[in-house]
Amino acid sequence: MMMLLLPHREEEEEGGAAGRRRFPINDNADLLAEVLGRLDGRSLAVAGCVCRLWSAVGRREAVWEAVCHRHVAVGRAGAAGGTRSVVAALGGYRRLYRLCIGPALDRLAGVRRQGPAVSSAARHVSLSLALSLFSIDCYERLGGVGGRQQQPPASLLFLCKPVDVS
Amino acid sequence: MKREHEDAGRMGGDDPMAMGPEIAKGKMVPVMRTGDEMECGVDELLAALGYKVRASDMADVAQKLAQLEVAMSSDDASHLPQLAADTVHYDPSDLYAWLDSMLSELNAPPCAQLLPPTATASRGNGHSSTAAKPSAAAPPRASALHDFKPVVSAASVGRVVCDTEQQSEKILSPRDPKRMRTCSSSSSSSSAKEVASSLKSATEALPVVVVDTQETGVRLVHALLASAEAVQQENLKAADALLKQISMLAASQSGPMRKVAGYFAEALARRIYRHSPLPQADRVALDLLHSHFYESAPYLKFAHFTANQAILEAFTSFRQVHVIDFGLKQGMQWPALLQALALRPGGPPSFRLTGIGPPQPDNSDALQEVGWKLSMLAESIGIDFHFRGFVASSLADLEPQMLLEPEGKRRDRDGVEEAVAVNSVMELHQLLARPGAMEKVLGTVRALRPRIVTVVEEEANHNGRTFLERFTEALHYYSSMFDSLENGGDSGADGELEEQQRHRAMADAYLGRQICNVVASEGTDRTERHETLGRWRGRMAQAGFEPVHLGSNAFKQASMLLALYAGGDGFRVEEAEGCLTLGWHTRPLIATSAWRVGPAADFAL
Repeated sequence: MMMLLLPHREEEEEGGAAGRRRFPINDNADLLAEVLGRLDGRSLAVAGCVCRLWSAVGRREAVWEAVCHRHVAVGRAGAAGGTRSVVAALGGYRRLYRLCIGPALDRLAGVRRQGPAVSSAARHVSLSLALSLFSIDCYERLGGVGGRQQQPPASLLFLCKPVDVS
Repeated sequence: MKREHEDAGRMGGDDPMAMGPEIAKGKMVPVMRTGDEMECGVDELLAALGYKVRASDMADVAQKLAQLEVAMSSDDASHLPQLAADTVHYDPSDLYAWLDSMLSELNAPPCAQLLPPTATASRGNGHSSTAAKPSAAAPPRASALHDFKPVVSAASVGRVVCDTEQQSEKILSPRDPKRMRTCSSSSSSSSAKEVASSLKSATEALPVVVVDTQETGVRLVHALLASAEAVQQENLKAADALLKQISMLAASQSGPMRKVAGYFAEALARRIYRHSPLPQADRVALDLLHSHFYESAPYLKFAHFTANQAILEAFTSFRQVHVIDFGLKQGMQWPALLQALALRPGGPPSFRLTGIGPPQPDNSDALQEVGWKLSMLAESIGIDFHFRGFVASSLADLEPQMLLEPEGKRRDRDGVEEAVAVNSVMELHQLLARPGAMEKVLGTVRALRPRIVTVVEEEANHNGRTFLERFTEALHYYSSMFDSLENGGDSGADGELEEQQRHRAMADAYLGRQICNVVASEGTDRTERHETLGRWRGRMAQAGFEPVHLGSNAFKQASMLLALYAGGDGFRVEEAEGCLTLGWHTRPLIATSAWRVGPAADFAL
């Protein structure tokens, strides 16, 4: 440990004169998580393709929680701890972003491109709406009793982009 | 419209008159021969369209039409614009006299003739006793034609009815006469090129089926309304003949209009032939259709979200809450409420759900399954959840003591009674089929002393006294509905997910069943007795309830939800005296309202 630290300090002392510090980000996963938590969803997913460490850090719930909160309007100051446990029970923040918040933001961006016809009140996604849709999806995925044939969950299909299957 | 008359002349030529192909040019080719319809007096098919032609004159009428055709097609182009509609025509429905006058004037120096597109006005007037709206629509349309007489008559002389309204959409959504008038003004400019094209088609000897979808759309609507009126007047033969016309016209349409026409035609056929009503599809199939409708259109989601918001607000600060759902189905409304209760400041309450559902034919306990799924979800998010299912074939069978706990309402540790919410999404209108059922159910609800009652109903008047009234209203409503399903989804049909198409087809079938019920069933079978928000307000007020305004939270959430739908700008969320409605363009289609028990102890039962 000390051996590892010494070079750092020496480098700092040396570099201090030059005014430049080098700090490999991969050495500190928590700092990496902080940085990644400031990305938007798509960039974060791309960042997860860089290396194994980034992939692992990029899957942390805390990181996705930060991303979600950054991109949705939190209606009222709800109990943050309570939200965390509920979201975890429903499937986690990463899944919440992938299924609800991400597609919703994409859809709204597309709408914005089409013109200012949409009222300003409707232009952002609220956390409560995203959670409502998420809970419905989670409910649909719950299996039926006795293994009855289950339909694939489809309540979020309206958010999907049309895919050219020709 | 002129083309329609001539078509009618042909259709009415059901006596063995050979309408040669040269007459059929520019028209639908198949000629109807519907057997011996010679009755003394007025020919009934033409009468259904508003023309009084004596059956004995039919051969003459046919001959004169042929002469007129020849005479017109032989005119060169320079004459046509001058044939201004100037003569007075006293009785547009008198086809015989009109033909006489036309022929004499054409053989004489051309002077103006008034056009029988005013016959639509007469038809509108003839129907004034029944549906108010089409007749309101027709006279302004006729007057609009008057305003642009010269151009219009020129076009019609060229044997193409310049359908100056371009109305196939306008009829379906807003029934605003003013809008129709402005439409006609804009399209008169296009009539000039229609004249040119029509001349070309007139000179061809081959029968040409002109597929002008806008015009056929309007004709389709006219044919549907005419058929419905014939049914109302018990003139089943005429109605049947018109049905054949409808199916031909519908084949030329595409998209929502075609589907609507198809379902209405099928429903009319069922009514005419007295087929047994649609077999009671088993509940599994009905649930399937319902859940596909849930997924393909925002109406049910809107209903659930706004009702949940009202219930959530009514439940603030209560530690024990009880929701009674009049139509549990798949329970799709409740996960969102459970999640919202879990996250409310102060922590979640203890939640009890009583779900009511219809009896299942195969003895499977669908209610218990739904309850089990909901309890799994509730447990995972940390809510104390209790469920009870009730099987009842009609809501009127319920008694208040059945719904509450055996020992009445629960009380929390401070002795405060539980808050009860009653939720009904599109269930109450079915009670109107049996007299007295609605009053009993509202009395039961009142006896429960709920904190809030949420009612979601279709915003339409499908419970009018006469059949034609109901038919016309339903035609407008379901046209808007199908239009919104088609265009409110993802933009562009190509590249659509196959699953979404499947959902759409099932949603169409779900609406088709409703259409069949409104049109083809009567009495206690006709359960889809939708009523407008105004009437529901009156009914609830009479039963002793007072309105609770849905707050701006509900409005915002609904607007955000609608913004997520791809065709979102077609949908409109509106607030009307505390109730929220969701509509397609200017037509509200579904309305949510909330109520609580009023202070008045006595009320009319």
